[in-house]
Amino acid sequence: MDLLNPPPDLYGRPRADTFMRRLTAFGDRYSPALGSPLLRRNPRRPLSRPTPPLQLAVSARRRLAADVVELRLADPSGGPLPGWQPGAHLRLALPSGRERHYSLTGDPADRTAYRIAVRRLPEGGGGSVEIHDTLHPGTRLTARRPRNGFPFCAEPAVLLLAGGIGVTPLLPMAREAQRHGLDWRLVHVGRSVDTLPYTDELRALDPRRVELRTDDEHGVPTAADLLAHAPRGAAVYCCGPAPMLTAVQRALGGSPATALHFERFGAAPIAGGAPFTLRLGAGGPALDVPADRSALDVLREARPDLPYSCHQGFCGTCEVRLLAGTPDHRDRRLTPEQRAAGAVLPCVSRAAEGETLVLDL
Amino acid sequence: MPRSTPVPALAAPAARVHDSLVLEPRDVRFDWDRLPLHWIPDEPMATHVINVLHLLLPEGERWFVKVFKEALPLIRDDQLREEVLGFIGQEAIHAEAHQEVLDHLLGQGLDPRPYVRQVAWLFRRVLGDKPGLGPARRRENIIERVAFIAAIEHFTAFLGNWALNSPGLDRAEADPTMLDLLRWHGAEEVEHRSVAFDLMVHLDPGYLRRVRGMAVSGPLLVHLWVRGARFLLAADPTLHGRLKPTWREAGRIAKRGLLPDPVGSIRSGLRYLRPGYHPTQEGSSSQALGYLATSPAARAAAGG
Repeated sequence: MDLLNPPPDLYGRPRADTFMRRLTAFGDRYSPALGSPLLRRNPRRPLSRPTPPLQLAVSARRRLAADVVELRLADPSGGPLPGWQPGAHLRLALPSGRERHYSLTGDPADRTAYRIAVRRLPEGGGGSVEIHDTLHPGTRLTARRPRNGFPFCAEPAVLLLAGGIGVTPLLPMAREAQRHGLDWRLVHVGRSVDTLPYTDELRALDPRRVELRTDDEHGVPTAADLLAHAPRGAAVYCCGPAPMLTAVQRALGGSPATALHFERFGAAPIAGGAPFTLRLGAGGPALDVPADRSALDVLREARPDLPYSCHQGFCGTCEVRLLAGTPDHRDRRLTPEQRAAGAVLPCVSRAAEGETLVLDL
Repeated sequence: MPRSTPVPALAAPAARVHDSLVLEPRDVRFDWDRLPLHWIPDEPMATHVINVLHLLLPEGERWFVKVFKEALPLIRDDQLREEVLGFIGQEAIHAEAHQEVLDHLLGQGLDPRPYVRQVAWLFRRVLGDKPGLGPARRRENIIERVAFIAAIEHFTAFLGNWALNSPGLDRAEADPTMLDLLRWHGAEEVEHRSVAFDLMVHLDPGYLRRVRGMAVSGPLLVHLWVRGARFLLAADPTLHGRLKPTWREAGRIAKRGLLPDPVGSIRSGLRYLRPGYHPTQEGSSSQALGYLATSPAARAAAGG
């Protein structure tokens, strides 16, 4: 757009707009004045310090169900831990350097320890196996402060739907619902009773509100079966495997429930990706993007300040400009004109095997 | 046709504040084909006063995104950086959602372009990058703009909180898709209401910075709003310039619950100047997140 001539009058009168002219003059004086005394950050004030990571130690470990262990994590010097609310998770840095998120499953009122429960997944990325095999009472760990991607809003009627280990964030919600006298139900689904953790703790809250539905006894439930447990107008909180969540989302409209809460995990797994190469600037360094990682992930290692947000190709925050190469656009945001002008969203877009994308970075 | 979604009632003890929320954009979709020009039936004044949002927000929120991207390298805390990134994504989606309404207005014979051109000049030229500043002045300019945004975000959270608690709009049978847009947007504003303020304090905890942010943004926003309402009422092809906005009339419409109370809005702006102010003191996260779990547009996004 034209940034030299101030915009015309709003009502078509033949003169530049007075208000715009005054604003422009104000802006042209204000910007360069910033930095002078009184119009700057007090230079004697120290810079804000980053929040340090939490230092934790495993204080207890117990087996909860087949393949599930629970860890209590406490401050090694016995101090109180930062508070949290139901639905919050902890990002743990394991001794191997792996980072993993686990929902907090204890009682938020207990500030002496965090509780997490971990199912052993031999086919997974190795984090759960490392926890099962190497974390014992006394092991030191670091973690980020609890953050909440699944907040509990305490609606008057709630249905908590747990798939297997997905019960972990729902247990503190059930406790809070019971404490506040809400009309709550919890349905826990899984293969068999011996695989379901926390059955006793849930039943201790109110046995009539907790239902176990195991595949070996009742068959695999449909989403409609699960949602039929909802009180009219209830809010559903669902945590379980992705197919369960998708089915519940689809079936919600025909159920007595009116609201659905779930934890959103940004990036979807990459389907049909091939390895390719990114080059940062025409003569810049080359980065290899493996088939199972996004271009954004690889770019962020080289450029930690690169902005991004949705990881799914719809918000456009991570847009970069292409200098050469043929991209495979997989976003839902860019218009054909923007693509023709070289815009690419590296959070989802890729390239054919062996191709090199040269980016203006 | 989407049903109108009343904001859910909450049990009394619900947490008003949720700590350390993970913020993520929602890929909402709206269908504007059937939006009437006066989407609050027989209330052109209330309709157009709210429509000023669609004039200001696409350019304004794109500017927020630009400023916050420039501020990223100045952030020294990982959690704050993640919150800012979530904020950026949400604001980018807001801008596009309001842009669609703007395009729809043009299709209905109301040409918003003269006003939008001024808004674009304001955000790109007056508040845009100034060439030739040294690194220290450039840094100060970024922080100052973050302070402008923090003050504006106080108002967006105030308006969002109003949209979530405005049964008058339901009583007046306002268009359900537009209500969902206002409440989805309002709920995300309440959800992320602390981010800009926390970023400002992280970059400069000085009280003067906060005061300057409000002293510039507050009056400018009020003036832009009044100008915008006057412009839309004049440009509406069905009104033939007969309707002029007045504060008295705005007060009367607010009493019927169709607009936020003008006096209350200005008082809210003054609360921002209290030394102990923090954005979490206003609005309810539980109510906002409860609405987002029922919003037709947000649910459609979640269903993929």
